[in-house]
Amino acid sequence: MSTETQPTEADFTVENLDRIIDAHLDEAGALIPVLQEVQESVGYLPEDALKHISHRLEVPYSEVAGVVSFYSFFSTIPRGRHTVRACLGTACYVRGGKEVLESLKRNLGIEVGGTTEDRMFSLDVGRCFGACGLAPVVVVDETVHQQVKPSRVAELLAPYREEEA
Amino acid sequence: MHIGSPEELTQKQQELEQQRAAVSTRVRVCTGGGCLASGAHKIRAALESELSGVDGHVHIVETGCMGPCSAGPVIAVDPDGTFYEGVTPEDAAEIAKSHLLGGAPVERLLHRNLASGSVAETETDVDFFQQQHKVVLRNCGRINPCSISDYIAVGGYSALAKALASQTGEQIIETVKAAGLRGRGGAGFPSWLKWRFTRDAESEEKYVLCNADEGDPGAFMDRSVLEGDPHSVVEGMAIAAYAVGAQQGYVYCRAEYPIAVSRLSQAITQAREAGLLGDNILGTGFSFDLDIRKGSGAFVCGEETALIHSIEGKRGEPTPRPPFPAQSGVWGKPTLLNNVETYANVSAIVGDGADTYARVGTEDSKGTKVFALAGAVRNTGLVEVPIGTTLGELIYDIGGGITNDKPFKAAQIGGPSGGCVPKQHLNVPLDYASLEELGAIMGSGGLIVMDDGTCMVDVARFFLEFVQEESCGKCTPCRVGTKRMLEILDRICEGRGEYEDIDQLIELGTQIKDTALCGLGQTAPNPVLSTIRHFRDEYEEHIRDKHCAAGICPSLVRAPCQSACPAGVDVPGFVSLVGEKRYAEALRLHRERNPFAAVCARVCFHTCEEKCRRQTLDSPVAIRAIKRHMVDQEVVVQLPEVRENSENAARKVAIVGAGPAGLSCAYFLARLGYRPQVFEAMPRPGGMLVQAIPAYRLPRETLAREIRMIENLGVRIHTETRLGRDITLSTLREQGYDAVFLGLGAPGNTPLNVPGSDGEDVVPAGDFLRQYNVRGSVPVGDRVLVVGGGNAAIDAARTALRLGSHVTIIYRRTRDQMPAYAEEIEEAISEGVELMPLTQPTEIVRNSDGTMRSVRCVELSLGEFDRSGRRRPTSRKSEPFELEADQVIVAIGQRLDADEILEDATVKRDDDGFLRADPVTGQTADPWIFSGGDSVLGPASVVEAIAAGERAAYGIDLHLTGENHAFWRKDTQVNTHFDPDAEPLPYERESIETISVDRRRHNFSEVELPWSEAIAVRQAQRCLRCDYGKSPVKEDVHA
Repeated sequence: MSTETQPTEADFTVENLDRIIDAHLDEAGALIPVLQEVQESVGYLPEDALKHISHRLEVPYSEVAGVVSFYSFFSTIPRGRHTVRACLGTACYVRGGKEVLESLKRNLGIEVGGTTEDRMFSLDVGRCFGACGLAPVVVVDETVHQQVKPSRVAELLAPYREEEA
Repeated sequence: MHIGSPEELTQKQQELEQQRAAVSTRVRVCTGGGCLASGAHKIRAALESELSGVDGHVHIVETGCMGPCSAGPVIAVDPDGTFYEGVTPEDAAEIAKSHLLGGAPVERLLHRNLASGSVAETETDVDFFQQQHKVVLRNCGRINPCSISDYIAVGGYSALAKALASQTGEQIIETVKAAGLRGRGGAGFPSWLKWRFTRDAESEEKYVLCNADEGDPGAFMDRSVLEGDPHSVVEGMAIAAYAVGAQQGYVYCRAEYPIAVSRLSQAITQAREAGLLGDNILGTGFSFDLDIRKGSGAFVCGEETALIHSIEGKRGEPTPRPPFPAQSGVWGKPTLLNNVETYANVSAIVGDGADTYARVGTEDSKGTKVFALAGAVRNTGLVEVPIGTTLGELIYDIGGGITNDKPFKAAQIGGPSGGCVPKQHLNVPLDYASLEELGAIMGSGGLIVMDDGTCMVDVARFFLEFVQEESCGKCTPCRVGTKRMLEILDRICEGRGEYEDIDQLIELGTQIKDTALCGLGQTAPNPVLSTIRHFRDEYEEHIRDKHCAAGICPSLVRAPCQSACPAGVDVPGFVSLVGEKRYAEALRLHRERNPFAAVCARVCFHTCEEKCRRQTLDSPVAIRAIKRHMVDQEVVVQLPEVRENSENAARKVAIVGAGPAGLSCAYFLARLGYRPQVFEAMPRPGGMLVQAIPAYRLPRETLAREIRMIENLGVRIHTETRLGRDITLSTLREQGYDAVFLGLGAPGNTPLNVPGSDGEDVVPAGDFLRQYNVRGSVPVGDRVLVVGGGNAAIDAARTALRLGSHVTIIYRRTRDQMPAYAEEIEEAISEGVELMPLTQPTEIVRNSDGTMRSVRCVELSLGEFDRSGRRRPTSRKSEPFELEADQVIVAIGQRLDADEILEDATVKRDDDGFLRADPVTGQTADPWIFSGGDSVLGPASVVEAIAAGERAAYGIDLHLTGENHAFWRKDTQVNTHFDPDAEPLPYERESIETISVDRRRHNFSEVELPWSEAIAVRQAQRCLRCDYGKSPVKEDVHA
């Protein structure tokens, strides 16, 4: 499991943004890579950050917002420290992914797209992580948990909860 | 490392190859996605710690995916290729000590081949690998993907060097053309044509793109190539760039694949440092550089124009073609776009030559294809086979068949753009044209195997939901059309579908295909259209019966066991009542839908248990055994509600045949106040229950008791009254009968047509059993040969054995394929019946006096797949052999010969002579005649006959009154205690005790023993109560 500290809003500084933007300034089609790195560093894409990026890359804000809303990985609201994604790709779906998702929803007490009150977990649906051989899978951050049984969801989440405690 | 010329590369390659060869023992640890998630890094660490301090003659490398994901974590030991599976860190330590240091392989971790049962000593002996042919995956699982030295050592970049040093772009394109390479991303467009167009386009600036946005759910081929052999893609792209004249390339990789991105970017850095990317590659003056662009979670970006826009930093929306990317791609410049697998093929084609490459494959599709095998198949993983390998070979020979030996239902190929191939087509060669004919596509190579637990309507709905969510919304057909289709499918899955819906889906789907802007929309209806094409009956079942046989669609399924029961018995209800020892209520609840509780407790083939959700936890609830305990507690006969009705009592209904179908029909009619008359040809009622099923499985008193119960409802049974002899349809009509139910069964026998088979010592199993069961004695030989594999064959064999014979069953298919219930086969063998599968009789050899001497047989082997999805037995050119026998019992098929008895009735029949009846009402084409059970279905099960009788009772009442009165169909929630938050009880499934073989071999005592109450109650409490809070699901399905 990753022991890296998760990003916080404190990482959202103008210096930080400029550092990322400067590295891509001469690149054609730099907008998406910049957005990806900012989201990775801050955890989400605050409106102020988007305005700053628009200004520095000389891309109209409407276009920046258009791109952000188009791609499902970009989020303009804060996310939990851990992203839990239940795969509903074909293999996982036919091997009981739906039941796993239901169990996760119950355990976390949130719906898909939601974040727990303590901002520990966000819940998403994934459409295939290429681990179909071991379906159904749940991906927490970048760790793949395979052959998850709906009844064992609590055990799967326990280490993440303990790590925070 | 910097390599300045092609010659220097050759030199370097030889050096590295020698270094590689110098390693005496190499341990390859698979770090493909699956093995990594199962702890591959821990295996490596365990090996290292065990070997630390020992002389460094063992080299440990982490490789890409080796393929068999379900066997992971896997490791292989070179030079001999010993292959270990399911390795834990403790196992790794043992391998280090015993094998690497001690020289003795650890046998228990070796792969065991399924078909032969033999242990696979090395990788090449493993059945999973045997029919594979690796071109794209040539290095996957063999080298360290993070090492350019490893790649060069096995000949990497030599194809690029060869191209740059000695070939023109034209020549390379000709080579690709001669190799017959077609795009592996899905559409199968000839690759060389794209290359030619891009090369011919005039521009200073050109681009080469690699589509690694492997978004099809169920596909992980590209991921595995990028993670296992990233340099092969870099090399392929560099060759392509040289051929078309491009200077810059991009790999567009989806963000869900972080390991692929990191290994590829490492490979690009290494290649740059080595002078294999960048300016003046290998000193030849050719310059090309490569960058990665990560996707951001938009499926549509797999479409080429959308992908290009995404690389440009815009919304990934498609645009109409032309112009094609070859004319105007990234930033309006000519652009070549291929997918990962296509590029990985290029270095092999240019390196080994087009001829070598084109040697495998079919006439129209050359080379190999990588498939990601997943779903309900034993060996899931990554496989590469010559194009044209059949689907059956892929699933059974390589995949090892279906998990838990369930029946194969369909394979979904090509993801959301593809379709489903049903079992009738297991022989389809996997090539572009053949799959397209079936309404599927080769696609990128995701292949999901589905068993009978999959609902095809739900699968279609799943894909449409996916497409609907991923539709970019730019064009109306895709945005609105798929939404409308999804609404219709949602409706069908919720039980609100109408007959017109199917045609409307086809019409909408066809329109969307014709009018959508991009590939996503144009192929989006495929999963729906292909499932309608191959599984239309399943759609109809959802619409007409509001029934989902697979037990998947939540609105139609209260509990999967109840859905699976042909009679629709409230299984969780009676099981939980048994759990509270409320046996009388449990029995009454059971008899709401099925009068024969005690019979079914003995002979039911319990499809309910096959669908039980408890098996995802440990094993299914032992429903039949719990039922056995319930019926054993019956002191006073327990009847559910009966509604007296004087009008119905005056209506005359005749039932012909007192088998399970006829008696069930009579029972339900009687509960509506009818007084049906049952006519039975034999001296005792019961049909197959009394004539065919032996007493050791179903004690006669048990059966008689439930028949008496039905008689007590006002049903009159006239025995020894045969239709066609004592009564006819016309006399019934003359006597004023308003309706008649024909429960004739399938009493005819398919004869054994071999020379010498026309003697009295060759008897049909049906006749043999009937004679013994009804008369109490039957002539039986000393050495009896039973031909067939169904339940009749087993019943006849076990009966003959009890009468003192030595019995052998011969069957033309394998034991797994026998239609008889597995537990019956097992009991027969334990009692001493011999079983010879894959054997076919060819002649009955007789002595000069005409008595039987032996049966001449040949051994068969399994060939290709037939339409039932089973392998067809074919005769091998083996020597015939003789089996000594003095009696042959034939159980190879049953028929219905109803020509005479039907007189001039306008009942329609199928090719085998069975009657056609409406699946909902049992009504035949002659409106006053109804039918059900074996006489409609062919030989089926007891519970299916009971269900057919119930439907006909509903149908007859509807016919006579014009209204539906089937009050018993309304689900009710039992008031047993259940805590939904409690953990499931941890008890294991208990097996049923049987009396010892010695005590049963010579008599007809019942074989199975009841449980004690303590066991039965505990077993009943294992039920997960899937029905909890879900009642009533359907008020009345036919109202």
